Amino acid sequence: MLEEGRVVANAQIGELGTLLAVRAPEIAAQAHAGQFVHVRPGIGWDPLLRRPYSFCGIDRRAGEIELIVKPLGTGGEWIAERHVGDALDLLGPLGTSFVVRRDTRNLLLVAGGTGIAPMRVIAEQEAPRRNVTLVMGGRSVAYLWPSDRLPPGVEYVTTTDDGSFGTRGRVTDALPALLGWADQLLACGPWPMLAALGRQRDAADRAAAAFPGRRTLLDAQIAVEQHMGCAMGVCRACVIVTSEGNARVCREGPVFALGDIAFEAGEPATVGVH
Amino acid sequence: MRRSLEESLEDAAEGEEEEDLVELVDLDGASIAEAAAGEPDAERHPTEIADKLRESLAGAAITEVRAVPHAPPETLPEHGVDLAVEAARGLWLKNPVLTASGTFGQGVEYAELIDVGRLGAIVNKGTTPRARPGNPQYRIAETPAGILNSIGLENPGAEEVARKYGKVWAKLGVPVIVNVAGYSVDDYVFVVEALDGTAGVVAFELNISCPNVEGGMLFGSDPQLAAQVTRGVKDATDKPVIVKLTPNAPNVVAVAQACEAAGADGLTTINTVLGMRIDVAKRRPMLGTGSGGLSGPALRPIAVHLTYQVAQAVSIPIIGAGGVTSANDALEFLMAGASAVQVGTATFADPTAPLSVIEGLAAYVRAQALASIRDIIGAALPRAE
Repeated sequence: MLEEGRVVANAQIGELGTLLAVRAPEIAAQAHAGQFVHVRPGIGWDPLLRRPYSFCGIDRRAGEIELIVKPLGTGGEWIAERHVGDALDLLGPLGTSFVVRRDTRNLLLVAGGTGIAPMRVIAEQEAPRRNVTLVMGGRSVAYLWPSDRLPPGVEYVTTTDDGSFGTRGRVTDALPALLGWADQLLACGPWPMLAALGRQRDAADRAAAAFPGRRTLLDAQIAVEQHMGCAMGVCRACVIVTSEGNARVCREGPVFALGDIAFEAGEPATVGVH
Repeated sequence: MRRSLEESLEDAAEGEEEEDLVELVDLDGASIAEAAAGEPDAERHPTEIADKLRESLAGAAITEVRAVPHAPPETLPEHGVDLAVEAARGLWLKNPVLTASGTFGQGVEYAELIDVGRLGAIVNKGTTPRARPGNPQYRIAETPAGILNSIGLENPGAEEVARKYGKVWAKLGVPVIVNVAGYSVDDYVFVVEALDGTAGVVAFELNISCPNVEGGMLFGSDPQLAAQVTRGVKDATDKPVIVKLTPNAPNVVAVAQACEAAGADGLTTINTVLGMRIDVAKRRPMLGTGSGGLSGPALRPIAVHLTYQVAQAVSIPIIGAGGVTSANDALEFLMAGASAVQVGTATFADPTAPLSVIEGLAAYVRAQALASIRDIIGAALPRAE
């Protein structure tokens, strides 16, 4: 649906981006973790394309959503600079959402960069009912999600490239120790992170049934990003290759089964030959 | 905020979505080199989500749409205003506002957001004889007041389109014009024959911006080739045949005249203009195919100009297309000689844009006390001697 949202808070989250809280009761009422809103960057035609942002917070009672906006390029800058009281033209909620199984006791969430958005929503929703561990990786501490913006009870594991906070290394380096514990794994982050996760899944697929976390990896769900046009399923700009053929990230995604995604050199595999 | 050289370069490139991706790549996860060393996908086990995906992709015929309900006509702002036009010979529409091919899917998608029953007609996604997977990524790039696209006519093929959307088109409450693409005259004829009997289909629009398999020249670049396709399709259907002209032809007016002589019932001016963007950080074109088609407001003056030129050279109706965002834009095309317009790229930014154009045209007819919108068609053309 189209809804005119109203910015109610604007906060800088280190180097991750700007966290916008937007009052949009109709969208908030229907939004699920993994879905996104397509935000118009202005009121004119330049820049023209809306920008997709995954929900980083969904507060149905308050009728508010939160989005992390990176102030890159004129469109992103315009959106990130919205102040309290400003209007935002929102189209959403769009796309598929993560599914947490009823029988999951130990839930492992993996986030990279702005991929924290849906993981934070799930952490908020699931922390009261199951054990939740969130693993997040970043370039340095400034690129991590602040722990005081996570619900109590969530175990927060961090990795940084420069070792400035948490374990030095990649987010995927932290996973082997947790996979045996986890019943379910959900992830969102840049393509190379997802591709690394895909390789861990391939290894698990080839391993014996006793391989720790094998089932968890085989059933992992991921949310992906892709250059997007309409976000309504018509322009087919955002298609990726899945085991079932072409899929639109805006409609069949952005949440996919990890095992269905074809990777190619750390990027989404694409149709045809470059 | 500290900005690295790379970030500055990215800013210079102004490809915002591209920048996001580059930025994310740097943040964490596997390095590109690490990822590049990865093995290609082995066989993968289907999962529950795969089952859901399979259903949504293969999909049975669509019979119901989660469409917004049609408003009672007497409640609409355009009620009582004569907006009817003959958009192509024999094709009367209740108003001159159509959606452009490739920007409105099969009509069912945006029906979730807007009352498509208010539109003059919709033009479906370019349809080829057989399914096409489309072009490599990236398929879209933003440009000043426009976009470049290189989708590659991804579509499920004519018979699948007929099977999947045949039932729902009749229920959409809006006439459907099928956009036809192919690589030989037989291709075009195949698509037209496959969809000629489909309920809801009122006309065909030929996308002749495709290379001809015999010789590789674009059908739309050459008057004789364009005429061959037009004639072939005219012989295959009794429905109106509209030819969508490409601005990339050396002589657009000559192609227009050849199509008219070959029996075309109407012309659409224009398809996208070839263009390119370079990713400065990566030192390569942004689109997977290198070049793509430019659409959006940036295109409008070119499209109005060609409409104006073609309108003086043919006597069949013209549908103007290229960067229409408002009623004022539509009026430019109508006054330049178009009988109708298509709204395309604007819909991506504002899904209500096509309806706003209808409302604005109705308001114009009222404000100018015109008997009908038809009174201003060609108003800006040089007066005939």
